[in-house]
Amino acid sequence: MSDTFDHSGMRDDDMLAAELALGVLDGAERTAARTRAAREPAFAALVVQWEERLSPWATEIAEVAPSPAVWDAIAAALPARQQSLWQSLAFWRGLTLVIGALAAACIGALIYLGNAPQQPPLIAAIDGGGHHHFVATLDKNSGSIAVVPAAYTADATRAPELWLIPADGKPRPLGLLRADSATTLVLPKEMLAHAVRDAVLAVSLEPPGGSPTGQPTGPVIATGKLTLL
Amino acid sequence: MDLDANRQFIAEALARIPAGDRAALQAVYRLTSAKLFGVALRILGERGEAEDVLQEVYVTVWRKAGEFEAGRASPMTWLIAITRNRAIDRLRAARRSRAMDPIDEAAEIADSAPRADDALEMSQENARLHDCLDGLAGDERAALRGAFFDGNTYEDLAQRARIPLGTMKSRIRRAMMKLKTCLEAGPGL
Repeated sequence: MSDTFDHSGMRDDDMLAAELALGVLDGAERTAARTRAAREPAFAALVVQWEERLSPWATEIAEVAPSPAVWDAIAAALPARQQSLWQSLAFWRGLTLVIGALAAACIGALIYLGNAPQQPPLIAAIDGGGHHHFVATLDKNSGSIAVVPAAYTADATRAPELWLIPADGKPRPLGLLRADSATTLVLPKEMLAHAVRDAVLAVSLEPPGGSPTGQPTGPVIATGKLTLL
Repeated sequence: MDLDANRQFIAEALARIPAGDRAALQAVYRLTSAKLFGVALRILGERGEAEDVLQEVYVTVWRKAGEFEAGRASPMTWLIAITRNRAIDRLRAARRSRAMDPIDEAAEIADSAPRADDALEMSQENARLHDCLDGLAGDERAALRGAFFDGNTYEDLAQRARIPLGTMKSRIRRAMMKLKTCLEAGPGL
């Protein structure tokens, strides 16, 4: 600190700790004080004492529930671990593949039975870690894409929206997905031309009616490439 | 929610996190996220920003739970300090990039009176802090409030009060010194 105030009995370090805990320092002063707290246990202890003195004040602040998406984002940011079957990422990934294979097999059967000149379906495991998994199966013959939520916890305030991102990197909106059941979307012709192998499908969280801008406005929670089965 | 009664529970859950116990982190989240979100929201004034901070806070808790020393700080103090630091960092960074007016920004955020259930949860330490805060001069208390609740810097506070920076620094330091003396004197003095 450059100032030389008379703190009448409070040691300078104690005052600096008070200022850091209160949050009034800015810029270089704040950085310097934090660096000291990280390196000097004695100074860090003074900061903790001040935090302890001030923190009861926070009971004055009303509790506000954050949106459920916050926990999902936290869980997705943690390193993957297997706790139990239902929490295991490997389990959900496995299930994702099984559902994908089943969906592909169904479409394959339809194609076979329909005896049409066939383009094989493309599938994508749209995966964002945590409980954010969708499986998409694109049938180029009918121009439709079926999306199954393999593992998805619905967000109370936002809806999942599907995007197609071809090689040019520009996201194109395909439509809103249902959180709890399969959604089939029909792609317009010009969109279908972009829906090729290695194009990326992404899911973002958007306001209930979908993105108002035609571009993703909320967080992208999962992505996956279209591939041949 | 009675945070005091949960204090032991939160401390125990924090102790399980370094071993990689995600359920322990989730338990801490369930018990504390509404309070910490309130703290971040009060400083940042915008849900999206406050949710980003909340996310950072719990990822930090996951990584640093091993550094929490139950003997030295209460778990809520530790969590609130992480939240305030993160929220203040974000507020300052946003301010640098947007050059927004701190006075108007602060004025937009209404002062919220304590809710009944929060008032019920006031602990002894809390009552003591309030007694000591009541003992401060009005302008001293207002300056501390602006810093603690809204994340104001010395400079912001000086501008808001329309006094020189040096005067605000003396005011805050005097107030903090009085607060410490009062808190250490204990009840009844």
